Amino acid sequence: MIEMILHYGFMQRALAAGVIIGVVSPIVGLFLVVRRLSLIADALAHVTLSGVAAGLLLQKQFPAFQALNPMVSGMVFSLTASVFVERLRRLYRSYQELAIPVILSGGIGLGVVLISAADGFNVDVAGYLFGSILAVGESELWVIIGTGVLAGLVICFFYKELFALSFDEESAVLSGIPRRLVHLLFSLVVALVITASIRVVGILLVSGLITLPVAASLQIATSFRQALWLSVLFAQISVLSGLAAAFYFDWASGGTIVLVSVLILLAVAGGKRLIRPGSGKTGAA
Amino acid sequence: MGETVLKMEGIDFSFDHQTVLEGVDLEIQKGDFLALVGPNGSGKSTLLKLALGALKPDRGKVSLFGVPLRRFRDWSRIGYVSQKANSFNRDFPATVREVVASGLYGKLGLFRRMKKEDWKRVEEAIKQVGLESLSRRNIGKLSGGQQQRAFIARALVSDPEFLILDEPTVGVDTRSVDEFYRLLAHLHRKKGMSLLLVTHDIGVVTTYVNRIACLNRRLFFHGDTDEFVGREKEVFTAAYGHPVQVVEHAH
Repeated sequence: MIEMILHYGFMQRALAAGVIIGVVSPIVGLFLVVRRLSLIADALAHVTLSGVAAGLLLQKQFPAFQALNPMVSGMVFSLTASVFVERLRRLYRSYQELAIPVILSGGIGLGVVLISAADGFNVDVAGYLFGSILAVGESELWVIIGTGVLAGLVICFFYKELFALSFDEESAVLSGIPRRLVHLLFSLVVALVITASIRVVGILLVSGLITLPVAASLQIATSFRQALWLSVLFAQISVLSGLAAAFYFDWASGGTIVLVSVLILLAVAGGKRLIRPGSGKTGAA
Repeated sequence: MGETVLKMEGIDFSFDHQTVLEGVDLEIQKGDFLALVGPNGSGKSTLLKLALGALKPDRGKVSLFGVPLRRFRDWSRIGYVSQKANSFNRDFPATVREVVASGLYGKLGLFRRMKKEDWKRVEEAIKQVGLESLSRRNIGKLSGGQQQRAFIARALVSDPEFLILDEPTVGVDTRSVDEFYRLLAHLHRKKGMSLLLVTHDIGVVTTYVNRIACLNRRLFFHGDTDEFVGREKEVFTAAYGHPVQVVEHAH
């Protein structure tokens, strides 16, 4: 595969996009999962669909928007939604998860209406739904690189605050950590990462890339740092397998990535039982 | 007399049109070890939240280290072990070390990373609570008493002068509870730390604390332990509305 990568520009772009997404998605995912917010990724991904559809519609109706990449409008939509999620969550104290179906179905509803209003697009909407890593264009790669750098910076600089807030929000706030600022920055990063991941795994499977490697790492990690590195490792294996499968067998990259992630999760959970029987259940001893 | 660590004056607080606290005055001087006792729902945790600024009183004044709460920023001088510490997510992927280190993060401030000397302080705090052999273990795998000590270490790591503990022994076995109180007594006597302990263990605390406050919506007693001992039946009957059997642990 190495010669192919050196040879074809589209393979270089696919590899770069895959590696970047395979680093930032599971890291963002880890912080979401431990705060029991993994479904937010799914909700925001569906909102991105309506953003992408809005971008495509603008392109079709107004020549001035020809240069607009639908990923950018998708980002604007998911950024807006990420800010609203927190507000919606505060609306119901004991039904915080209600915010997720509200945003998820709202996003998909708007997306479907926009697609039907446009009466079809020249581009393949399925590519956004299911991902096509080999089709990452140059401008899209730049969006992905920008997202990767920004997400990396926010997570590096706010790692300790994010950890403290995830583990015990009350104590973290009382020790003087600025909860609102950190949560806001993190939700913006989540929205960006989700949109950037769509080219690689697709709207319907984004939450898989964000949560499955984390789920596998939680089976065996003792420390938070271990969970972080293991989920990145698992995500990289999945993304590179997806890329290879797309190149050699013309399989859908998103589907392969998620299936490999599921296999890793099963292997890790099974291996753990074999090595330490009875330790299958995590939690208090 | 030394510095006043916490001063609460004329605190009224109500929630959902129910009076929770009424005219409460509480004062803790530097070097005090005060136990706040009272029946369930007497407003003990609420009083702590008011002292820490997590809630605002309807009436009354709160100051920490002589600074009105509104202007108080020096949170690293205060360590807090919440009641919720018992109900954390036990599947959370974190070692004792990582959890204890998080007690330093607020003090370090944004954009500052943990340095070698910071990790040294983490190790010292872990040693202080006697968990050094478990420092790289996952916190969810520890026993209740060990977890409790890890949370104390997290509160101690920023070197606070004032430690606040909200019913820290709930769900901890009796032997660990005794060990736990000895640790608090050590911090009080040897380190000169001021402590505020909310507790149900009425019998035990009189052995360790020098000040007692008995709360049930309003204060029924606020003074020295010596003064309290001998009057406890009368105070508790007034505060609880019925006589209370005081269970003494053997020491």
